[in-house]
This record gives sequence, C-alpha cells and structure tokens, in this order.
Amino acid sequence: MVAVTPAYLKFLVRRGSVVDDVHKQPPSKVPSPMGPVIFAAAAIGEVIVYLMSGSLVPLAVLGAAAVAFAVGLYDDLSVLGGKVKPILLLFAFVPILACLTLQSDLYTSRLVFPILGATGAHFTIYTLLAVAAFPIVANAFNMMDSFNGEVSGFTILVSLALIVGMVLRSVDEPGFSPARLAATLPLLAVSVGFYAFNRYPSRAFDGNSGSLVLGTMFAALAITSGVEIAAIIAILPSILNSFYILASLRGFVERRQMGSRPTYMTPDGMLHASANPTAPSTLVRLVLLPGPLSEKDLVKNILILTSVTCLLSVLTSVLTWVY
Amino acid sequence: MVAWLLVIVETYLFFDVIIPVGPALHSIGVFTAIALLKIGLTFGLGVLWFLVIVSLTEIYERSLERRLTPTPSS
Repeated sequence: MVAVTPAYLKFLVRRGSVVDDVHKQPPSKVPSPMGPVIFAAAAIGEVIVYLMSGSLVPLAVLGAAAVAFAVGLYDDLSVLGGKVKPILLLFAFVPILACLTLQSDLYTSRLVFPILGATGAHFTIYTLLAVAAFPIVANAFNMMDSFNGEVSGFTILVSLALIVGMVLRSVDEPGFSPARLAATLPLLAVSVGFYAFNRYPSRAFDGNSGSLVLGTMFAALAITSGVEIAAIIAILPSILNSFYILASLRGFVERRQMGSRPTYMTPDGMLHASANPTAPSTLVRLVLLPGPLSEKDLVKNILILTSVTCLLSVLTSVLTWVY
Repeated sequence: MVAWLLVIVETYLFFDVIIPVGPALHSIGVFTAIALLKIGLTFGLGVLWFLVIVSLTEIYERSLERRLTPTPSS
C-alpha cells in the first residue's frame, strides 16, 4: 500500500481528483479518494488470510467491505443522500449471511457481556442487531473523518483494542479460531499505511469509500469474533459523535447538508467552537468548547480520548474473558 | 467514562431484571407478549443510555457556551 499510494496520488492529481483541505489557511488541494487503495490492500490481506486458514471469516469481512466500498465510491463520485447511504449499508451484512450458510460457526448469535456472561443464543434478534450495526458503525467512522489523521489514527487505536479483545478471548476459549485474529491484521495494516499519508499535514484523504470500508471491516470483525461489547466501547467517541449529531439535527443528515457549522477557523489557523445556538453538537465542538485549538492539537485530543475508550475496551475484555 | 459505566450498570439490569422476566425467548418465540415486553425493556435501557449521555452533554455545553465569543458571520 505504501509503495503503490504515491503513484496513485499522482494519478488522482493528473485526473483533477483533488479536494480542498478547508482547515488550512489558505485551503490546500489534497488528492481524494484513497478508498480504492485502502480497499484493494485490505482485500489482498483478507484473501491471503483465507488461503492460509481456509476459514470463511476473512471472506465474510471482505464481502461486507466490498458492499461498503461500492456505496462509498458511488458517494464519492455522485453524492448519495443522508438517508440512502445508511439503507444501502444494511446490505453489508448479506455477504456475512451468505458465508454463514457455508460455515455455521462464522458467528454465534449471542452477546457476551462483562462479568455477567453470555445471553442465550437467538438468531433473529442477534441478526437484526448485527444488520443495524453496519450503517451505525460505518457512518460513525465516516463522521470521524473531518481532520488530518483523525480517522486513520482512530482506526489504528480501535483495531488494537479489537485485537486485544480477541487475544483475551482466545486465552479463555482455546478453540477460538486464530483466523479471526489474523483477519483483523489487514484492518490494522491498512490503517497504519493510510496514516502515513493522512497524518497532519495530509497528503491524501480517504473519501467516503475509505472511511466506510474501515468502519464496515471493524463491525464485521467484531461480529465474527464475538467481541462486540468491547468493540462498541472502543469506538464510543465516534458512536457518541453520531448520536450528538442525530440528536441535535433530529435525523440523518450529511455533513455537507448541515445548516450551520459546529466550528469555525480564524485567520491564524485556530479552530473555535461555534457560538451559534443552531450549530449541531459534535465531538469536535465539545473538544473545542474549553478553548480554540490548532488542527494538529485537536486531532491529538480526539486520539487521546479514543485511547481512553480503548483502555476501557481492554478492561471490558478483561472483565468478559478473564474475570 | 460515564457511557462505559452506564453500559456496565445496564448490563447488570439486563441480566438480573429483564432476563428473569418469564421464560427464555428461544423457548417462547419473539412475537409473544412476554418476549415483546423483554425486548421493549431492553430497548428502554438503550434509550435511557442515550438520554443520559445527551443530557450530560447538553449540561456540559451550556456550562461552557457562555464563554464563547460570537461566531463570525463569514
């Protein structure tokens, strides 16, 4: 991915596929979307895991990511509405269901909670929850994709929390397939590779095709590995960010459709929380409420917050699988 | 941290209050009155989590919004 990306970015620039980095003074042009490279790299990784393990878990993850990639790429090239995107992302669960018909232990229809243990297995309820998880998690990642290095750094941290959860589960359950753990490595690898180009100052943006792939892979891995609760705890900042926006705007709204912006930038490049009472509540606005920050410091604060929730996720995994 | 603590507390409520209400879902089916009650109570826990978090956020926002300077119109 690191070897191919420079040539791909040159291709995007030649094609004129660049977007304004609006948090720079003056706005710089950044190639976008990097989603195709992110998806291709993740796909190669998942296929290798499949060939080495024979498990259908990596193919299920890859299938879900393919659906999200198609939705995201369409959104990058021709804008999708705020309500259409979540509906289309529901279909990301279809490849997982298809793989389930071929491998019955692809996932178990129960949730394992910290301290108190597992619920009874119930295919219908679990499947409905799992289907709903895809648009929620994918959009949560998408909403975290506003600043240089935000979504890539976020994905690195939450992938690590997911891996720790799986390792602790494998200690508790010796029969836990290592293929599930291996299937997480492509997500971690592509997010590290992408971070090299996305960190401040960004040389590439992932676009919707990239952030939706990262979010969908995370959701698919959490479901197929049975570490859902720890996964939810890890991504709490992004889940809360989505809930704040939903609550303050009263519905699914695209970032570009927000009436008033939650933040604004002054000529010195500092980001401020908007004082406009109609401005939507977002995680970024909450972080900026105590005082203005540069883009680099803002992302640092968000990643510190994510590190805290990842530690809580690890604690959750300990309480679930070790305690 | 509050969100995480709520998850832990609500997990306890789920296991010790909601699950003991009537027989297990897989033995009575989803579309029975008792099953729908259990699902509704579980959904209520989710709504409660959401309301607590949004309320706390609004309190936090209001406490700090007074210090903000007016947003430029540009």
